[in-house]
Amino acid sequence: MIKFWNKRAKLGIITEKPELEERLKKIRKEIKKSVNKHFAGSLAIRMVDSGSCNACEAECNALSNPYYDLERLGIYFVASPRHADVMLLSGVMTFNMTPHVKEAYAQIPSPKWVISVGDCPMMQAPFERTYAINAPATEHLPIAHHIAGCPPSPLEIMEGLLEFLKKI
Amino acid sequence: MRFIARFCKEKSEYFEIITIYDEHNEKEEISKEHPSIKTITIKNPAGIWFERKMHDDFGIIFEDAFDNRPLVHQERFPKDIHPLRKEFTQTKIEETPYLPYKYEEIDGDGVFQVAVGPIHAGIIEPGHFQFSQAGENMLHLEVRHFYTHKGIEKMLEGKRLEDAKPIVERISGNESIAYQICYRDIYLQATKQELPLSLQKRHALLLEIERTIHHLTDVGFIPNDAGFGSALSFASKLGEEARRKMKEVTGHRFGFGAVSFENSFIDIVAFNEWLNDLDKDIDFFEDWIMDIPSLWDRFDTTGILSLKQAVKYASVGVVARASGVKIDRRENPFYLKHGFSMANEESGDVGARFKVRLKELKNSIEMMRHFLEEDETVLEVAEICDGEYQSFCESSIGELFMSIDIKDGVIERFFARDPSFMNWQAVHIMMQKDIIADFPLINKSCDLSYAGNDL
Repeated sequence: MIKFWNKRAKLGIITEKPELEERLKKIRKEIKKSVNKHFAGSLAIRMVDSGSCNACEAECNALSNPYYDLERLGIYFVASPRHADVMLLSGVMTFNMTPHVKEAYAQIPSPKWVISVGDCPMMQAPFERTYAINAPATEHLPIAHHIAGCPPSPLEIMEGLLEFLKKI
Repeated sequence: MRFIARFCKEKSEYFEIITIYDEHNEKEEISKEHPSIKTITIKNPAGIWFERKMHDDFGIIFEDAFDNRPLVHQERFPKDIHPLRKEFTQTKIEETPYLPYKYEEIDGDGVFQVAVGPIHAGIIEPGHFQFSQAGENMLHLEVRHFYTHKGIEKMLEGKRLEDAKPIVERISGNESIAYQICYRDIYLQATKQELPLSLQKRHALLLEIERTIHHLTDVGFIPNDAGFGSALSFASKLGEEARRKMKEVTGHRFGFGAVSFENSFIDIVAFNEWLNDLDKDIDFFEDWIMDIPSLWDRFDTTGILSLKQAVKYASVGVVARASGVKIDRRENPFYLKHGFSMANEESGDVGARFKVRLKELKNSIEMMRHFLEEDETVLEVAEICDGEYQSFCESSIGELFMSIDIKDGVIERFFARDPSFMNWQAVHIMMQKDIIADFPLINKSCDLSYAGNDL
């Protein structure tokens, strides 16, 4: 184990984009009132996959790796919709998932928002309409903000989330 | 004789049921008026999902099958519609009243049911797991999927092969390159062309980068599910670097659209540097992680799939190789010449699957060194001929099978069998001696795809 700590000390901090923190500080100041009111200072996200290819999930997982470390911005993923402020929705809203996505949305306490991530929920990915696809998601849920990309990179997701914070 | 897949094609006068084994294929014709056929599940239990899927998709009845419940069509799906029949052309269906699904459950004094999913606590895809529990002990598990079913088989029908590519590469984000290579092989069969060696090497390089990314993610997440978070931080850093390498080589972090018939520039010096660093980091990681007894206490003897069971359920890929089944689609002269050696373990537990991934990581690095080449070959593709084509590829999960029929220049029938489709059916056996807290660990050690499985 000592070897690990030696390596850890040698490597230092590799997290990138400190300017994002600066930007967040600025945004925080601007929206302090609303963030305090809505989110008690931090933003809790429940990720729901409504039929994606797993690339958007992989990029959201990458947000927690040492290069991005999303939690330093006070934004974190939670295990239950009941703990969440925001639903992050990926995928094409398949016929089989639609009722479950609506149920998850119903379980989020108000005030609540839905952010769609990736091209699928807006039906802009190469997938075409079939019997098993119910997208666009706007027909089923109130989408407050959209993060485009197939899939959006972790940085694009981070910037999208900050934009959303500014918007509300 | 290893069972690989079983699927249906609709011809003008009859249904054709095709069963793929490793040594030969079997074709049977059944009438459209009375579509009924004998089950193969007595011999090959993993055939049951294929048959239940065919019942949903085409309305075919399997005589003597031990399970007749719907598979893809869930509680609210309209009854008596069979979307893969040619006569079905709707692009929208209405929900029908909820008809409960009968889970496989064990009853008894003190036995209770735990339902998990389809939406899980982590950032993962949707799927449902139904446990029958006696206290902590798992008595039975039923894996129930197809929540992400998008109807891709139907979506691709009537498309030209070229137009199908962007969809094929997005069937499963983790295995995009593998799907593209399967598609490439079918494309080349249809144009009756051979792939130049330099392009073969480039595509093989991309496939190994994809495998590296996937395995690095797994060797981080498996210890994390046993409560050892620092392994995840370490491996996810390496995974991110590998993903950036993918972006550098292909222009996309997942390699969407990367398998083409044109070679492009690779910075070989920088690539080799990355490989050397990764090699050292993986040695360090292995040295460190093998020496943590509390972790191996969780890994060893957890989630055992015996050799006999792995063969019976026709498991593929990492899961099969960890149980001592020696199958890998890369075992061919091209790969052997470039340094391929098959990773193998005997014990079939979580620890074995973890070790197989570590071995494959090291072997991938070795092979990538051989695949690196500066080259600017371009293959002019010829006209596509009608016909029935099949191909295989070893994705990071296991053996992927794809079949495409082309008629009048467009796709008549598309079928893909993800390695996950086989391995999900063996997951319930791994649970039988363990407690429910081991489930995330066992599930992650197999790391199967949901999107590729559900299609």
